[in-house]
Amino acid sequence: MMANEVPYVGIISCSGEGLPEGTLSLVACRQVLEDLRPGNSVTMCLPLFIAGGLEERTFAAKYPTITVDGCEKRCAAKATEKLSGKPTRSLIIPEILKKRGLPRPIKMRHLGKEEKTAAQAVAEEIAKAIDEVLEKA
Amino acid sequence: MDNKAKKVAVLACSGIGKAFGALARETTYELVERVRPNTAVTTCLALLVIGDPEAKRLVTENPVITIDGCAKECAKKSIESQGAKVAKAYQAMNFFKKHKDLKPEGISELNEAGQKLAAIAADELGEVVDELAAKEDR
Amino acid sequence: MAEFLETTFEKFIFRVKVGYLYSNEDFWADMQGYMATVGLTDLLQKSKGDVAFLETVEPGTPVKRGQELGKIETIKATFGIISPVTGKVVEVNSELEASPHLINNDPYGAGWICKIELADPEVDKCELLQAESYMKLMKEKIAKEAKKLYG
Repeated sequence: MMANEVPYVGIISCSGEGLPEGTLSLVACRQVLEDLRPGNSVTMCLPLFIAGGLEERTFAAKYPTITVDGCEKRCAAKATEKLSGKPTRSLIIPEILKKRGLPRPIKMRHLGKEEKTAAQAVAEEIAKAIDEVLEKA
Repeated sequence: MDNKAKKVAVLACSGIGKAFGALARETTYELVERVRPNTAVTTCLALLVIGDPEAKRLVTENPVITIDGCAKECAKKSIESQGAKVAKAYQAMNFFKKHKDLKPEGISELNEAGQKLAAIAADELGEVVDELAAKEDR
Repeated sequence: MAEFLETTFEKFIFRVKVGYLYSNEDFWADMQGYMATVGLTDLLQKSKGDVAFLETVEPGTPVKRGQELGKIETIKATFGIISPVTGKVVEVNSELEASPHLINNDPYGAGWICKIELADPEVDKCELLQAESYMKLMKEKIAKEAKKLYG
């Protein structure tokens, strides 16, 4: 990366419709983009990335990526590795929640207080990961 | 006679970054949780790409409805890339076109109008789920 | 020669088609003799979002450069289609009624808005920007927007 370029990190979130952690992942990533690390983070649409989105794939090939997965199946990490290259960091929500002593979310939509607390915790971990990635770059 | 309950797979793109992505996702949840909880099922779109056998079976052995957030049709393309057919493909934008007074806003969380629109869209799609499930019964 | 000039901001690639002319309001005109095809630039369609509805004046309606010849409604905004040229609308892209997303998917091709019979092409050409000049303007607009977002 050239010295005068803006340092970006691409965040690729699991979009898992089949589990609450999927929704949590999307909410946390938006928090990072809008509040915690605006200007350095770029969220990438996983379905579009998978379906061949040129902008998504070009960006992922050029900049470091952090994947955020809702479960051990690690769809975001595996899809990113398959289509662009190994992500720089791979986060899994159940591990983050365990580390923070937070319960597993129950709701898939219309998040309650507990889910919002969990989303905030995940967002903070993503932000921390962004800082670490940019420091090394 | 095959007594196994017929399922209809409903897959949404829920692309991050667009209100219509959130609408697609919410409509899917309305269908599988409220409107047709015994017939409509969903799974994660990304599971198909990583070759999850259960996800692949769901879309190849059952009729599939896709709900996309935009004209890029990522959900539809993901299903077709697995060699499965999409029985009915929808774009969330078209739900809004039919109900202009309910403008969906918000990405992480849909606004009230968006949630109402998702509920209406799901009610309409409930009949489509019934038709597809009935075809499978024949 | 490349078909498009490109610039990137974050993950977004913004294109400007070489050979078209551009207005400050982010509309393009493909001028061929006394006929011009007009549409939205990539910058405009990306910044306004997915097109839901489109309204234009009827064929036969005279328009002046800078005047509204219709409206577009997206989920984010409703805005005017500002004619980059002066003349008379002779054809409106009928595909856009059923498929307004063409404006987003292919803003310089299948997403064209209307064709205009020009009153005086040379006058319009003097007022419009070549692709390279529009690219410069576009980069300034993107930088301004980024500053607004991120400070």
